[in-house]
Amino acid sequence: MAGKSGRSIKAEEKLTAKKLLFTWEGALILLFIAVNIFNMSISQSYTFANVLREMPKFLAEMFMVLPMAYILVLGDIDISVGSIVCLTGTLTCYISNAGAPFPVVILGCLGAGLLCGAFNGFVTTSFPELPSMITTLGSQIIFRGIAEIYLGGGGSVSYTNTKQIMPLSTKLGKTVPVIILVVILAAVIFTVILQRTTFGRSLYAIGSNKVSAFYAGVDVKRCRFIAYVLMGFMAGMCGLFLTAYTYGANTTTGQGFEMEVIAMCVFGGIASTGGKGTLVGGIIAGLIITLLRIALGQANVNSQMILVIVGALLIIAVLIPGIKGRIDEMRKLKAAA
Amino acid sequence: MSDSEYILELKDVTKIFPGVKALNKVRFQLKRGEVHALMGENGAGKSTFIKVITGVHAAEEGHMYLEGKEVHFRGPKDALDAGIAAVYQHPTTYPTLSVAENIFMGHEIIRGGMIQWKEMNAKAQELLDRLHANFKPSDEIGALSVAQQQMTEIAKALSTNAKIIILDEPTASLTSNESEELYKIVEQLRDEGVSIIFISHRFEDMYRLASRVTVFRDSQYIGTYDVDKITNADLIKAMVGREISDMYPKPEVNIGEEIFRIENMSRTGFFKDVSMNVRAGEIVGITGLVGAGRTEVMESVCGITKPDSGRVFLEGKQLNVKKPEDSMKAGIVLLPENRSTEGLILSWGLGRNVTLPIQKKLAKGGIFNDLKKENALSKKFLEEVDTKAVTIFDPASSLSGGNQQKVVVAKALAQDNMKLVIMDEPTKGVDVGAKAEIYAIMGELAKKGFGIIMISSEMPEILGMSDRVYVMCNGKVTGCLNRSEATQERILKLSMEQGKSDRKEAVQ
Repeated sequence: MAGKSGRSIKAEEKLTAKKLLFTWEGALILLFIAVNIFNMSISQSYTFANVLREMPKFLAEMFMVLPMAYILVLGDIDISVGSIVCLTGTLTCYISNAGAPFPVVILGCLGAGLLCGAFNGFVTTSFPELPSMITTLGSQIIFRGIAEIYLGGGGSVSYTNTKQIMPLSTKLGKTVPVIILVVILAAVIFTVILQRTTFGRSLYAIGSNKVSAFYAGVDVKRCRFIAYVLMGFMAGMCGLFLTAYTYGANTTTGQGFEMEVIAMCVFGGIASTGGKGTLVGGIIAGLIITLLRIALGQANVNSQMILVIVGALLIIAVLIPGIKGRIDEMRKLKAAA
Repeated sequence: MSDSEYILELKDVTKIFPGVKALNKVRFQLKRGEVHALMGENGAGKSTFIKVITGVHAAEEGHMYLEGKEVHFRGPKDALDAGIAAVYQHPTTYPTLSVAENIFMGHEIIRGGMIQWKEMNAKAQELLDRLHANFKPSDEIGALSVAQQQMTEIAKALSTNAKIIILDEPTASLTSNESEELYKIVEQLRDEGVSIIFISHRFEDMYRLASRVTVFRDSQYIGTYDVDKITNADLIKAMVGREISDMYPKPEVNIGEEIFRIENMSRTGFFKDVSMNVRAGEIVGITGLVGAGRTEVMESVCGITKPDSGRVFLEGKQLNVKKPEDSMKAGIVLLPENRSTEGLILSWGLGRNVTLPIQKKLAKGGIFNDLKKENALSKKFLEEVDTKAVTIFDPASSLSGGNQQKVVVAKALAQDNMKLVIMDEPTKGVDVGAKAEIYAIMGELAKKGFGIIMISSEMPEILGMSDRVYVMCNGKVTGCLNRSEATQERILKLSMEQGKSDRKEAVQ
């Protein structure tokens, strides 16, 4: 074969501490430490035990950060997930109230989520010319509409057999809440799949250049469908655990969750244009926002103000890479001159 | 300095980008009313040079004289006002706007704050008439062909009363007929006194149009020559910096059994009743005008689009291809026409690009990516095709066109079950040096007994490399010529056999 020049191309990549620190994930870890110090300074009660106790009510959303990262990496977006949470939460209550045993309740909830995801996946992949923002806007309205049909005039439903769903909100060994363990397990699985498997690589390929990925034999349709199904399933998971902590559902359940989840991902460096970022970043970003909320809550900052602070933080986070890029450019120009 | 002889003169122009000197003390002299070719390999600095002339980039050093007077452009508008306009290979038009709107974009005729549509349309019509264009000022740009879009760009240049027009690879995406039209327009403009800088990789263009040629290499000025005094070989040497003894190293290969056959394949609106075959070790060229259905046939073979009817056989077995993955599994590898949009993921490293089609095969248990294996394999194939890169992690976007094409080739070679390779315009936009290397690789593949299909619009490469040539016209195969029978005239005749009126009937 060719190769006449005998030129050698390096295939080793050296990972130095400095390089790692200059990734977005590295910066997030620093920010994570900084936020914790800040939290401790504003709140006396910001202790490990307290955080562990308060965390569960925020954690349900973390379930959705994981598959949302997949969707964003694909270059898609799913804004129907808040409605799926509402629908699955509502169904969970109705199934249980109808006297079904607990395993059936769980299966019903997760199954409903999965079906919602499959619906999104089917519609989105069948009409590739439609942006997913539009298709999921449609299903957002449909899913919440179905939930509201069930909820009826009262607009809410309670989980009457509270004892039945209690196991999901208990603490193992009286310290570690079950939900934390489930979130960690899910986070590990989702991260490994995205960063280490051929499926994960295919998602990045599609998000970076859909046409090239298709020409290279990536089954674009199937990958996108699976991502939406996973999204629906995990939204069902979120609905299940949310019900376990609130013992009911109403018409506002899960409202705005989609934007919070997307915000966590974007904050974590997963660009909504696709092909960029890692789930590690998304998870750290999710934790940072969660911890900040807990501390601000402890310090009696009112909840509207917390939203303002979190929103401002997000905008700053999204701006930083652009500013960093400009500084790098200026440095290079100086070096060349 | 006589301001009569040179309309544009540049002296010792240096342009520095972060870390690289894109132009290093470059000289250039453009005579009044001449067509001056600017040649050089990709990355030689031609585009940067053009951007300096058109005021997009400001040079760090050097002087520019327009009609003898030194000028300093602070932006593209200054250059436009001074009468310099550029037409690019891919026209930067606004596809949903009309021809007239595109022509007058940025300098609309305005009176009392209102756009004077009637006047603009009339002026646009005047310009189009001058270019003998066959479309109207009210046509939507997006619906026109690339050639017509270029014509609009030229009209736009004329609308600003440009004295110097720069044409950047204008023929790269044109058919030979359309190129001929463009030649005529360029000659007409020249006769009207417009000075033209013509950038092209095609020697044909240069011989046909230019009186003088300036060559750049590695950001430096190499020389300016009279076109009728320089030989092809000398020019290549000036561009590449070394001699290329054999441009088309077509090896003598014992051609084996038939390995690939298409039978009566049709797709409504694109091609009809196409039958072809390829034997082991054979290089089969497919040519014809752009839009004759060449690419479309191969896309259907590879599962990118679905044909309406027809059968495909590989090594005697009928294939059932539904998606690209299926044809790849069978052993058919496609090198698509557009490297940047179909062949590569530009933001990815070279290594990842090479192993994307085979990542499942390399993965542990078919699921977990095996980075060590992937890196070693991509290194091996990238070195085999002699890619100019530092590491396999360099983003594909950082390479020149020719080297990107080599990465696409490496990506194909990495598919170890390959039996048939389909190369769609493998040397489009590739400079001479890399071209020769790609032909060499093609020859090696033929020697190893692969079947090779090469879709190409470039006559010299079709004649130089193919054992057999299929000619297509309006979605039909109009002829098949052996190497000994194939001549430029016969191919041209076959590729234009049917008049345009037959088109509808041909493909329905």
